[in-house]
Amino acid sequence: MTTEKKKQLESSPENEPNLKGTLISVSVVGIFILVTWFGVFMLFLSR
Amino acid sequence: METATAPAKITNVFTNRGTKELSLPKNERRLVMSYMYVAFISLFIGGLMGLLQVLVRSGSFELPWGINYYTILTVHGVILGLVLTSFFIIGFQNALMGKTVGYSKKQLNWAWIGFAVMTIGMISAAITVLLGKANVLYTFYAPLQAHPVFYIGITLVVVGSWINAFVNFRQFYVWKKNHPDEKSPLLAFMVVINMLMWCIATIGVASAMLAQFIPWSLGYKNTINVLLSRTLFWYFGHPLVYFWLLPAYMAWYAIIPKIIGGKIFSDTLARFSFILFLFFSIPVGLHHQLTEPGLDSTWKFIQVILTFMVVIPSLMTAFSLFATFEITGRKKGYGGLFGWLKHLPWKDVRFLAPFIGMLAFIPGGAGGIVNASYQINTLVHNTIWVTGHFHLTAATTVILTFFGIAYWLIPHLTGRKLTKSVNRLGIIQTILWTVGMLIMSTSMHIQGLIGGPRRSDYSDYGGTAQAAEWGAYQMAQAVGGTILFIAIILMVYIFIKMVFFSPKGEEEFPIAQEEDHAEFTPKWTENWKLWISITIVLILFAYTVPVMDVIQNAPPGSAPFDWPIGNS
Ligand code: HEM
Ligand SMILES: [Cu+2]
Repeated sequence: MTTEKKKQLESSPENEPNLKGTLISVSVVGIFILVTWFGVFMLFLSR
Repeated sequence: METATAPAKITNVFTNRGTKELSLPKNERRLVMSYMYVAFISLFIGGLMGLLQVLVRSGSFELPWGINYYTILTVHGVILGLVLTSFFIIGFQNALMGKTVGYSKKQLNWAWIGFAVMTIGMISAAITVLLGKANVLYTFYAPLQAHPVFYIGITLVVVGSWINAFVNFRQFYVWKKNHPDEKSPLLAFMVVINMLMWCIATIGVASAMLAQFIPWSLGYKNTINVLLSRTLFWYFGHPLVYFWLLPAYMAWYAIIPKIIGGKIFSDTLARFSFILFLFFSIPVGLHHQLTEPGLDSTWKFIQVILTFMVVIPSLMTAFSLFATFEITGRKKGYGGLFGWLKHLPWKDVRFLAPFIGMLAFIPGGAGGIVNASYQINTLVHNTIWVTGHFHLTAATTVILTFFGIAYWLIPHLTGRKLTKSVNRLGIIQTILWTVGMLIMSTSMHIQGLIGGPRRSDYSDYGGTAQAAEWGAYQMAQAVGGTILFIAIILMVYIFIKMVFFSPKGEEEFPIAQEEDHAEFTPKWTENWKLWISITIVLILFAYTVPVMDVIQNAPPGSAPFDWPIGNS
């Protein structure tokens, strides 16, 4: 496993790409899911 | 396109990257096109039924000639939910297999046999539905009983799809044998996963048909175990929706990056998410039966938990897509937090249609999580909310992605070009679909939350106050549905144009490649024995006890109901 890891690291000399926009985008998706769910849950509780 | 392979050394990674592309010979193109014809004819017929449904439900239109609302609803559900989807998918997947691993002559002959069996089955079932002899809706819930030919036809469709699946497995196996140290082409790997899932799932319908529905409808058996038949249906019914979705994911992971001028984000991530979909698509069908009496709530709960596992590969997919867009944009020099959005080819319908499909999956997926949440399900169960939900997931996410595929696949197959004017029509089509669906689906969601039922002819329910609240939403659905129908006409026009009239030429079959320095894909991704074993173990775990229970403590069997709807 460790040798494999090393090999993989060697084979990807580029540095990590900048994925800030991705982080924010997936977070927004996550928050949207939570808001939807809790919205319907409140409706469920109120009935 | 293949990168040179490193000298043979025993490692636990595949050292080749990328996919070598084959070209599709004439006969393979013809096979795929045959599937496409069925798919687009289905789109037209099913869309027409959809239009009639929304008009009837608005209360201002009555079906002529005594046609039963549930006949057209059955046509709509069967022809769009079962026929259009499975024919488009198997056709598309056959194109992917031809392009990545190829067909032998014998394999291609068998693929044609599969197509013939599917088509014969489909036409027989369709005739019974159109004659009103099978008004049982696409879920064919017992004790509603259809004409035996309906059940036999559906069984043949399944058998035909199995023949096709085994051809795909064989193609894959032969390729692997000829390329022992290479990783399989990503798209072929994905097709095999989807067909494996399909084969395991359709055992449910096939056994319900052979052991229950066919003998019962032929009169050899007087009664049917309703609960067992529904459980077997949903054992198939949930993986069915993933059978629709995974081909869309194939395009998102491995085709869209090429269209936007980028690379595959991570080959390993894509494969692993497909493996997780295989695991968690089948042992979860009870989440459609949460209000079904006679099933132990413990097992419903366990399957709800398993259902939520599918959130993992879904969010992996979302992450991977955003990352593809962002990395590609940044490479092209677009900076800032969201500057990379600007590079996306918004004017290319091959991108725009699937992209809107992706967006629709955000509310679609969120709604699905609501549906599957055991207690909250009681709020939406059997309401038109559910219909709103799957018109987002199936009829937008999946269908718009399929349209996005059709814009290049059909011209590629017919040796024509995707012209600028067709591209423009396609963009109009996509916008119409988006607007129509936004109106129809949103009003369905709201009407469902205030109690409006699905699968319901127009009724004022004896003038109750609650039903009066639904009227405006049903009107809105008629408006949205009409826009959608116009979009369907436009799509059929585009299809005809791409098949017969566009100028001759070569249209690209876009298959994305990996980055030159992408990490190597580990060999464990192709440990098929392990993946199949885990899938089977999960199914046995989730289903053995409830199914034994349904058989041993069977409810009294039901005689057939063929009235008011059914076979009458
Ligand atoms: C013109 C476009 C469309 C319109 C106006 C439309 C409208 C409708 C309506 C109003 C219903 C619910 C009727 C009821 O519950 O009584 C329905 C059900 C359904 N639709 Fe559509 N739809 C359209 C396109 C599609 C597409 C493209 C698909 C599939 C890919 C699809 C799949 C389904 C399915 C599976 C059902 C469930 C049938 C059932 O409950 O038995 N629809 N549609
Ligand atoms: Cu489901």
